[in-house]
Amino acid sequence: MTAEGSKINIYQANNMNKNCYLDNLRGIDVRVYNEEVELEVRDPQQDYMLYKDTCAALAKLMEEIQELKAGGAKSVEIEERRTQCSVHFITLKKLNRLAHMRLKKGRDQTHEAKQRVDVLHLQLQNLLYEVMHLQKEIGKCLEFRSQHEEIELVSEEEFFQEAPAEISRPHVTRDDQHQLTLARLDWELEQRKRLAEQYKMSLARKEKIQKAIEQKREYLSSLQPGLQNIMQASLPVQEYLAIPFEHMQKQAEVARHLPPPLYVLLVQAGAYGQACDKNLSVSISGDVDEAKALSRPPEDSQGTSVSTEHSQTLIFFSSVQLDDKRKEMLRRHPLSLCVDLKCKDGSVLHLFFYYLMNLNILTVKTKVSTTTDLSGAVSAGELLNSESLLNCLYASDHGKETPNPANRYQFDKVGITTFGDYVSDLGHPFVWVQKLGGLQFSSGGAQVALSASHMERTMKLLRGRLQARLALHKQFSSLEHSIIPVSSECQHLFPAKVVSGLVRWTTMSCQEFTELGFVQHVLKAGLVHETDLFFMATVERGTARLRAAVVMNPRYPDVAPLFSLSLHWKGERSGRTDDNLQAMESEVNVFRSELQGPRPGLQLLTNQIQRLCVCLDVYLETESQVCDGSEGPKEFPREKMCLRTARGPSRLKPFKYNHPQGFFSHR
Amino acid sequence: MGPVELLHMSVFSQSFSPCGRFLAAGNNYGEIALFSLSAALSPDASEASQKPILNFTAHDGPVFSLLSTDTHLLSAGNGEISAWSWAELIKKSTKAAWTRKPSYETSLEIPEINAMIINPKDNSLIVGGGDNNIHIMDMETGIFKSVLKGHTDYIHCLCFKEREEEILSGGEDGAVRIWDSRTNRPVHCIEVFKYEECARPQFGKWISCLATDSDWMLCGGGPSLSLWHLRSMSPTSVFPLPGCQREAVFHQDLIMSVGEGPYVSHCLHGGTVKAQIPCTPSSLNTLALNLKNTEHRVMTVGGSSHQIDVFTNFSYRAFSLSF
Repeated sequence: MTAEGSKINIYQANNMNKNCYLDNLRGIDVRVYNEEVELEVRDPQQDYMLYKDTCAALAKLMEEIQELKAGGAKSVEIEERRTQCSVHFITLKKLNRLAHMRLKKGRDQTHEAKQRVDVLHLQLQNLLYEVMHLQKEIGKCLEFRSQHEEIELVSEEEFFQEAPAEISRPHVTRDDQHQLTLARLDWELEQRKRLAEQYKMSLARKEKIQKAIEQKREYLSSLQPGLQNIMQASLPVQEYLAIPFEHMQKQAEVARHLPPPLYVLLVQAGAYGQACDKNLSVSISGDVDEAKALSRPPEDSQGTSVSTEHSQTLIFFSSVQLDDKRKEMLRRHPLSLCVDLKCKDGSVLHLFFYYLMNLNILTVKTKVSTTTDLSGAVSAGELLNSESLLNCLYASDHGKETPNPANRYQFDKVGITTFGDYVSDLGHPFVWVQKLGGLQFSSGGAQVALSASHMERTMKLLRGRLQARLALHKQFSSLEHSIIPVSSECQHLFPAKVVSGLVRWTTMSCQEFTELGFVQHVLKAGLVHETDLFFMATVERGTARLRAAVVMNPRYPDVAPLFSLSLHWKGERSGRTDDNLQAMESEVNVFRSELQGPRPGLQLLTNQIQRLCVCLDVYLETESQVCDGSEGPKEFPREKMCLRTARGPSRLKPFKYNHPQGFFSHR
Repeated sequence: MGPVELLHMSVFSQSFSPCGRFLAAGNNYGEIALFSLSAALSPDASEASQKPILNFTAHDGPVFSLLSTDTHLLSAGNGEISAWSWAELIKKSTKAAWTRKPSYETSLEIPEINAMIINPKDNSLIVGGGDNNIHIMDMETGIFKSVLKGHTDYIHCLCFKEREEEILSGGEDGAVRIWDSRTNRPVHCIEVFKYEECARPQFGKWISCLATDSDWMLCGGGPSLSLWHLRSMSPTSVFPLPGCQREAVFHQDLIMSVGEGPYVSHCLHGGTVKAQIPCTPSSLNTLALNLKNTEHRVMTVGGSSHQIDVFTNFSYRAFSLSF
C-alpha cells in the first residue's frame, strides 16, 4: 500500500496498475496487485463454471431470504445471507471485470495482429507497385526507338568498303552489333560533315556566279538604248534602200498575238505575195493591247465587260443575259488581217479577214476601190455589192452557214438559229477562207499545208472574180444604153450588118424570174440557184420582140450565163413551142465556147447577146419564106446569105455563121 | 454531156434491135444511145436501168435516121451512112462495120440524110435527104446503084409499098412522089397542098410524114394529116390535129401520129381523133413500135427533150428513158 492510495477500491484497481507502472518508472519498487497477470493464469472455463455456481448460490440465498422473510425469520440469518449475497456479488463483479479484461486483451491482441498484417500488406502493395513500375520501364526501354534508327545508313558492305579502318574497326564490329551500329553512325556523321562542307562551298560559288550574271545583265540593258538609237538612225537608210525591215519587225511583233488561223493566213499570204504575186500585200489591223489582254488569264477582262452590261433593267434580265451570251459567242478577235489584191487597171480588192474566237472560224469582208468612177449602170448594182461579190467563188460555197459542225451545238445553247443573220455584220465564213487559214473541219487544228495548197488558186480566183465583175460593170453600162460592146477580137464571130438591136437591159429578182412562163424548164433542170443574178434582155426588130431571160452564176465567166427565149411576133412563141427558138437557145447556151473571146473570157455575155441578135435576124428573114398567102411585101427582106433555109425533120433555120465567107449554115 | 447540153437535146430517130430487147436512139449531137428494154421493163427496174447501157458519138451532125436490119443497125449522119453490128453494140463495142456516102453534086454544104428504108425484095437500101434526090444502095456490094431525081426541095420521108414494089417519098416541096423500084421511074406525083381539104397555108406545104398500109396512105406535115386511097388518089379523111405531124404509123385499127405538141394522137380511120396522150417532150419527132418481141411490146416516142417516153399500154405513158 502506498501513501497516496489509502483506500482499496475495486474500482481503483485499474488506476493502481497505472500508478504502479508509473511508480515503477519512478523507480519505486513496490509489490502490487496486478490483475492482469492474474488473468493469464486463470482459466476461462473455470471462471465460467464459477459464475454459474455463484449465480446459482445467489439465487438459492435469495430464495432462502425470501422464505425467511415470509416466515418472519430473524434478521441475523437474513443478514448473514445478505452478507453472503454481497460476497457473491463481489465475486460476480470480479468475474465481470475479468471478463472485460479478457475481452480487452483479446481485442488488443487482434488489433496488434491486424496492425502487423496491415504493415505487411502495405509492404506487399509497395513491392507490387514497384514491380509494375519496373516492368513498365523495361517495356519502355525495350520499345525505345532511338533517333539513330531514323538515319539512313549506308549498307553494311558499303560501310565496310568505304569507311576508314579507325572508324569501322572491323575486328570489333563484326562481332558486336552494338559496336557496329556505333561505328556506322560515326561514319555517317563523318560523311555528313564532309558533305555539309561541300554544300557551303557550292553555295558560295553560286553566289559569286549570280553576282557576275547581274553585272552582265546590267551591261546588256545599258546597251538597249544605244541600239534603239542606231535603229532610228537607220530608218531613213531603210527607206532609201526599200527594205522595210523595221516595218516587218513591227508586223512580226504584232503577229505574235494573232490567233493561229490568222497567223497561218498571214504567213502564207505574205510568202505567196513575195514569191509569186507582187501585187498582193498583207497587213495587220486592230487593237494589239486587247489581243495581249486576251492571252493573259481572262478574269479581269471578261469580268468588266459582263458587269457593265448587267446594269440593265431587271425586267429584261434573262433576254439580256442571252444577248450577252450571243455576243460573247460571236466575239471577234481584236486583230484582223487586210489583204489587198491590185489589178493591172489599178482597181484594188480589199479583203478583211476576221477570226471568231469561240466559234473557231474565219470570216471575210470585202471592199472594192477602183481608179475610175463606177456609176451609171443601174443593173450593175448587185455586181460589186460587198455582200455578194465573193459568192460561189468555188462552186456552191455560199458563205451563209458556218462550216464548223461544232458550232451547231454552240448555237443551240444560246438560241441562234442561223448564222446567216449575223453574216452582214461579221463577214462571210466561206469554206475557202477556212482553208486559207489552215482550218479544215474534218480533222481540226490549223494546218499549214492546207493553206499553202489553196493560196495560189484562191488568189487567182479572187482576182479573176474582181476583174470579171468590173468588166461586167462596164458592159452593163453599155448595155443599158442599148449598145452591145463587141471587141475587135470578136468581130469575126458576127456578120458585118446586124439589124436587130438590144432595146432594154434590166435586172430581175429571183422571184420575178421564177414567175416567168418560159423558164420553167431551166428551173426543173435544177440550173437556177438563190445566189444567181437574173437579167432580162429585150431585142427588137420591126414588130418582132424577143425577150431573153438570163441566169448568171456568180462564177461568171467560168460558168456561162443561161438564156431562155420568148418571141412575140404574130403570136407568142418560146423555146418550148418553137424548135427554131430552141435552136437559137442552143446557139448561145450550148456553143458558148465559141463566144468566149480572148482570155479570160470576159466578153462571153456581150457576145452571147450579139449572137442572139444575129439569130433573130436570120429567123425573121427566113420565116417570111412561108407562103402564107398574104399580100404585100415581106416585113423582113432577105439580107443574110443562106444556102438552105430549112434542114432536117424539124426544118431548122441556118443559125451558124461562117467566117470569112459570110453565109449561114446549119450545124 | 453537161446539164445545159441535156437541156437542149433533141431525139430524132429510134430503132429496136432485131431481138426486140434493145432500143437505139439518135440525137442532135450525133450520139447514139443504146437502152436495154429488158432491164427497164423488169420488175426491179431502177433509175439506173432507165439510162443508156451504151452511149457513143456516131456522126458529126445529128442522127436523123436509124434503121435496123436483121444483123445491123444503120445510122445516117451528115451525108454518110454507117452500119453497126447489133451483136457488137450489145457487147459495147463502138466500131462501125462500114461507112458509105452517096455521091453528092454540091460541095459547099453536106446534105443530111433524113430517111432510110430497106427494099426486102432486092435487099437494097433507099435513102433520101438534103440533096433532093433518092439514092439506092445495094446492101451486099455497098454500091449506090441508082439515083431518083424529081423533088425540087429536100426529102423528108420515105415509104415502101411491098405489093407493088413502089417507093413513096415526101419532101419539103410539098409533093408526094411514087416511084417504081424495078424501073426506077416516077409513077405518080401528088401535090397535097393543092387539095383544099388538107391544105393549111398558114403552116406551109411540106410533107414530113408518110405511111402506107396496102392501098392506104397517110401523109401530113404543113397540110393536115390525111388518109388517102391510092387507087383513086384522093384523100378520104382529114384529121383535125392542130400541129404539124412528123411521124405517123398504122397499128391494128388505129393511126398513131406524133408531131408538134406534147402528145401522141390516136386517130380512127374515119377521121376522128380518139385520144391525145400527153408526153414529156414539148414536141415529138419520132415514134416507134416494138412489134418483134411480144414480151417487150412497147411504143417509144422521142422529141425535143433528152427523155424518151415509153408506153407499155399505149394509152398512157409508163416511164421515160433518158440520155
